[in-house]
Amino acid sequence: MRNVERLCLAHCWVAFAAFLAASFLGAWQMWVRSPLGANIGTPGEYFISVTAHGVSMAYVLTTFFIMGFGYFVAVTALDRPLPGKPWAWLGFWMGVIGVLLALAAILSGQASVLYTFYPPLMASPWFYIGLVLVVAGSWIWCVLMLVAMRAWKNENPGLPVPLAMFATVANAVLWLWTTVGVAAELLFQVIPASLGLVQTIDAGLARTLFSWTLHAIVYFWLLPAYIAFYTIVPRAAGGRLYSDTMGRLTFILFLLYSLPVGMHHLMMDPEHGNGWKFIQVLLTAFVSVPTLLTIFTITASLEIAGRLRGGRGVFGWIATLPWERPAVLATGLAFVMLGFGGFGGLINMGYGMNAMVHNTSWVTAHFHLIFGGSVVIMYFAIAYEIWPRLTGREHASSAPLRLQLWLWFVGMMVMTLPWHWLGLQGQWRRVANFNYADPIIAGWGPLVIVSFAGGLVLLVSALLFVRNLAVLHRSPLPALQQPLYALAVDPPRRVPAALNGFGLWNVLVLALMLLAYGYPIVQFIIAPSPGAMVHRVY
Amino acid sequence: MTEQAAEARERRILGTELLWAFGVGVLIAAVLGVIVFTALTADINPPSNVERIDPKTLHLSGEFAEQNLGTTVGADGGVTVRVIATQFMFVPRCIAVPYGRRVTLRFATPDVIHGLLITGTNVNTMVVPGFVAQVYSEFTRAEDLLMPCHEYCGLGHSDMWATVQVLPESAFKPGQDGRVSCAQR
Amino acid sequence: MWSSRGGKPMISANQTSASDVPPEVPDQVDEAALAEVMRVVPLGAGVVAGTAVALLVLGYLAIYLLVFLPRGPVG
Repeated sequence: MRNVERLCLAHCWVAFAAFLAASFLGAWQMWVRSPLGANIGTPGEYFISVTAHGVSMAYVLTTFFIMGFGYFVAVTALDRPLPGKPWAWLGFWMGVIGVLLALAAILSGQASVLYTFYPPLMASPWFYIGLVLVVAGSWIWCVLMLVAMRAWKNENPGLPVPLAMFATVANAVLWLWTTVGVAAELLFQVIPASLGLVQTIDAGLARTLFSWTLHAIVYFWLLPAYIAFYTIVPRAAGGRLYSDTMGRLTFILFLLYSLPVGMHHLMMDPEHGNGWKFIQVLLTAFVSVPTLLTIFTITASLEIAGRLRGGRGVFGWIATLPWERPAVLATGLAFVMLGFGGFGGLINMGYGMNAMVHNTSWVTAHFHLIFGGSVVIMYFAIAYEIWPRLTGREHASSAPLRLQLWLWFVGMMVMTLPWHWLGLQGQWRRVANFNYADPIIAGWGPLVIVSFAGGLVLLVSALLFVRNLAVLHRSPLPALQQPLYALAVDPPRRVPAALNGFGLWNVLVLALMLLAYGYPIVQFIIAPSPGAMVHRVY
Repeated sequence: MTEQAAEARERRILGTELLWAFGVGVLIAAVLGVIVFTALTADINPPSNVERIDPKTLHLSGEFAEQNLGTTVGADGGVTVRVIATQFMFVPRCIAVPYGRRVTLRFATPDVIHGLLITGTNVNTMVVPGFVAQVYSEFTRAEDLLMPCHEYCGLGHSDMWATVQVLPESAFKPGQDGRVSCAQR
Repeated sequence: MWSSRGGKPMISANQTSASDVPPEVPDQVDEAALAEVMRVVPLGAGVVAGTAVALLVLGYLAIYLLVFLPRGPVG
């Protein structure tokens, strides 16, 4: 595979190692929060764990996996070698060094500021420098994705860029835009404060800059799962992609509407008025469109596969799908979790309704279900699909793969559904120990224990996932030579330039960002808010 | 399949996608409509009073000086609650509010970002140093509620909470200075 | 843990590998069968996805009216 095997495997193993460690931390946290662990763990230990868990799951698992998968797609979908491979390795090592720096700061108790690091809480500068290195390494990946697509287009003038690569580059462009917010916050505000160069920090500006990144980043995480839906799953199911055009449109819509919506994370904040909040709620409604389009297009693609296998009637095609294939099973489970998670998301964005759920366990439940559930289960499916191609060996049996996926689904549902309910009762976030002597809180105890049980199932599933990949490296079976990417019902021979590149869309993103974030940010530069005293936690 | 037949099929496919998108658009518009309707008629909004205050001089400011904290009934009958959120307590730790009347709650912090909610109600706001956070509501249940800090503010965050007593009209009696304190239980 | 330890992959950079298959390889779908099936699709998808989204919106309205509004106004 033109020698990107080691590059892809390196990225993925860093991602999955962080994932496994963070899974243990998550389970420990759930124990300590529950009545069963009421006297275990100090707040110092708990918040080290929460910071490490959040950084590992939100920044390491995701960024490294997405980069690894991206390099895989760039080579296999474009059928050409990766340009600039030494740069790719540079990006990888920058990321690894960054992770180690951040981890050292966290584990030594000098960075208990959680993965959202809201200033004026201030961690050791090594924490932030580490994160900046990870982001900078990922920017190299973004550039390489753009270069690879450009090179292919030069060699194939007039042809449509293969959808898997088009979507990957959309994600790379999205990531470049996304990271501007947090990079500005870190470089201009947080790191200077952390180094002691300034004593106060504009908290309103910092929160606003971070919100720019905070919502768009979840789409950066989500797009690879959708790449699998559109380009891998239809072939895995034995069918065709219902519409290649809608696939392109979907990824373009994500690029446009993932960014100018971050203020719905600031809905309860006092530094912005309801005019700006409403505008961003309106734009948030638009970002639900590509997901709703995807639900239809992928369901139709699966319907094709089911009917080709003999399914009849309105629902018969569901039973005839090849559910024994991990990619198909993962998709079905992902869609169920997407339904519940999407429902939660509608509530979160609901302008007034956000007041009912903000910073309660509902929010924690929501993002564990939608990201930890529907997105990460597709990461598993992607890994299971590409691992044989990376190692040259085949899974001995798909049964442990399916078991792992089912355990993940059951664990996630059992962990998060009670959590949603507890959030509505008012259970709040980021608590090391609940006071179960209080009558209101005591009533929550049983559901917290149920949730903890779900977390334990997830831990088992995480271990099984890593095991399933590790044994593949030693499998005696050679990898089957089978094509990966799906064809569309009617593969396009030409597509309009707008669906084959991002020039126009970048202009629109800029326009939308100026509209949605222009004044909200510039107001702080013209008239900074009264500075908050920097509060060191190290 | 002939080229025309393929093109016709592709047009049909896109037609169904357009139909689906239209249906989805109608549903989203309905959801937005509900939001806009209740925002305008029932005055349902996220807390959105934008007001700055210097965190370093809070205790010296007229409004958030210690003697002004807690619940006050103004000359016009309006009920205002003023609370300071700090690491790691709310001042005051117990707040009395009336059942069934509009209450305006105002918060400020001298240190880091906090947040709060009142269980069973829609009172929810972040408290960001540099800003006064204001939220109003009407308490629909006459009982004791929890007001925890819900945003991580440091290692003592887990123990930061206050109590809210929602008092029926008969028990909600302001003193001479218009202040109402929690009932002794 | 990486492919260079614990056993070499069965392929090297010079040989064709399992993933050296060109991307737009024809699949096993029979065009005639596809044409037949495409006369019905997307009826099933429309029903399944449509029902799911309808339930989502109804659930949203239910929470809005039955849980959120009774908790009192906010602003």
